[in-house]
Amino acid sequence: MSSLTGYAAVSMILFSLGAIGVVSRRNIFVIYMSIELMLNGINLFLVTFARYHFNMDGQIMSIMVIAIAAAEAAIFLSVIILLFKTKKSLDTNMFTQLKEEVK
Amino acid sequence: MIDVVFLALSFFAIAGGVTMLLHKDPIYCALGLLISVLSVAGLFALLSATFMFMVQIIVYAGAIMTIILFILMFLNIRAEDLPKEPRKNILVTLGVIFMIPVNLLIMEGVTRLPDADMSITNKDGFGGIHALGMKLYQEWLLPFELISILLLVALVGAVVLAKRREKKKGINNV
Repeated sequence: MSSLTGYAAVSMILFSLGAIGVVSRRNIFVIYMSIELMLNGINLFLVTFARYHFNMDGQIMSIMVIAIAAAEAAIFLSVIILLFKTKKSLDTNMFTQLKEEVK
Repeated sequence: MIDVVFLALSFFAIAGGVTMLLHKDPIYCALGLLISVLSVAGLFALLSATFMFMVQIIVYAGAIMTIILFILMFLNIRAEDLPKEPRKNILVTLGVIFMIPVNLLIMEGVTRLPDADMSITNKDGFGGIHALGMKLYQEWLLPFELISILLLVALVGAVVLAKRREKKKGINNV
């Protein structure tokens, strides 16, 4: 059970849950957490193949992904604070300043 | 024994993800994500990536989840601030239907790979901090430095974005 297929299945399911969360939810916090879940699934995939090939390059790529996730967390959460202060809402449909006016 | 641990950890990882996907309240979503992240850390340990296990717990469960929970409580979100999501269940069902073929394709590819030993090992310090550090500073030095620049830029950007506030008249107009 704990073979390559099992780990790959878990990481693909985590990635899919994150992708479904990004497209189906409207709460901007949940969208951010879904992105984190997708990054987690990718990390698990990289580490699984690092063990499979007995080569640590996959783990190093996973560290890079974690560093990018940390940078993304800082930027994303400060943007969320700004958006919430100006619009008083967490709904992504409220943030339409760049949208074309429909007549 | 390893199989039981693997099954339990993957169950908790997926259950945390599903909780995050379906729950309305962001605090419960954050707790579901926390469970998922911790279970993925356990899976890293099963894959004998001990340093990654540590990094996952310190950076994800320690730093990022703390920031998320802190911001959630800092913003003082009430029920009327939450968006109404009347079509959430339909969209989730559609998303599941669309993601199944991608998953099947990748699983088809993965099952054709030859079987290899995936047991916990410590040969040549695999996954340990010494071997990983040697690799990181010898073969991956340039990406490592670029990542450090990226983190610096993100730090400056976050400070600039979060510090912006309306100027008061007369004072603090420096």
